Amino acid sequence: MNKTVTAASLALAFGAALSLAAAPAAAQDKMADKEKCYGVALKGKNDCKAGAGTSCAGTSKIDYQGNAWSMVPKGTCEKTASPTSPTGHGQLMAFKEKKV
Amino acid sequence: MSTELAFAHALLRPDAPCPAGLRAWNGSDPVKRYAVYRNNVVVSLVDALADSHPVTQALVGEAFFRAMAGEFARRSPPRSPVLAWYGEGFADFVADFPPAAGLPYLADLARLEWLRVEAWHAADADPLPLAEVAALLADEAALPNLRVTLHPALRVLRSAHPVVSLWAAHQSEDAAGALGAIDFAAAEAALLVRDGLDVALLRVEPGAAAFIYRLQRGDALGAAAQAAAPFDLPATLGLLLRHGAIAAMRTS
Repeated sequence: MNKTVTAASLALAFGAALSLAAAPAAAQDKMADKEKCYGVALKGKNDCKAGAGTSCAGTSKIDYQGNAWSMVPKGTCEKTASPTSPTGHGQLMAFKEKKV
Repeated sequence: MSTELAFAHALLRPDAPCPAGLRAWNGSDPVKRYAVYRNNVVVSLVDALADSHPVTQALVGEAFFRAMAGEFARRSPPRSPVLAWYGEGFADFVADFPPAAGLPYLADLARLEWLRVEAWHAADADPLPLAEVAALLADEAALPNLRVTLHPALRVLRSAHPVVSLWAAHQSEDAAGALGAIDFAAAEAALLVRDGLDVALLRVEPGAAAFIYRLQRGDALGAAAQAAAPFDLPATLGLLLRHGAIAAMRTS
């Protein structure tokens, strides 16, 4: 529970928030020590040029072949510490193709 | 079974034979052509998931990701013709996917990436002008009862894992170095806001995330702030105002 939130404390908080919101951008960056901001852009999924989701782009990969499944993890999880893992790092179980 | 049903049924079953009664316009082998089509269906869905979940893929590697995504695609084909919306439920699938059990944070990471997609495509809303916020302060006694309409793109995620740090590490040049500095015992909360045309992913205190979550579901300001674990209320309100995440505030 937060300490009692009164009308007066809300007013104070909003007053401070307004000055934060109105402050110039440079000052904001300094103040935002609790905040890391990552701008991101997603690409579209609609046209063939963009690749994803279009049958014309799909023929390059064959996902139905089961022989690709005796895999070793190749991702960054191997470099990622994991307290719950016996090796101390992220690991993936060997993957067996499920017969559908 | 009708021809159409048989055609659709075998699409998601790699071992099913080519449906009977197909023929190609140019006399080529329908079994081969059907196999190409069947492959493309799942490849396109896996590609869409890979596009929406780049960090999830980076963590487990492409081969593992494509195998996992393919399993999901065959079990949960799209229900909407809009491919951008494909992937809802993927995080839940990852959570229950035994081969990924060694990475307890993976499902929440997929969830975070899905929330980015949702935030990206959500409706627009004009922010409440700061002058109007200031005007509301004149009636101090009414403040605790105000209900806040947040921007439709706003999302919060509270995780028991350091998902924001994991995600951020993969945006940096030195992902391996950044990964090494992560405290895996840390719970983290993310706030996603769309500021202009860009989605920003911000780390917030768990208490702040709980506060925002309560505002989102319609709790009044006072009650929402009261119920959350201690957090920096002015900073949180400032963050919301600065990113144009408050669309309206009114007494209910």
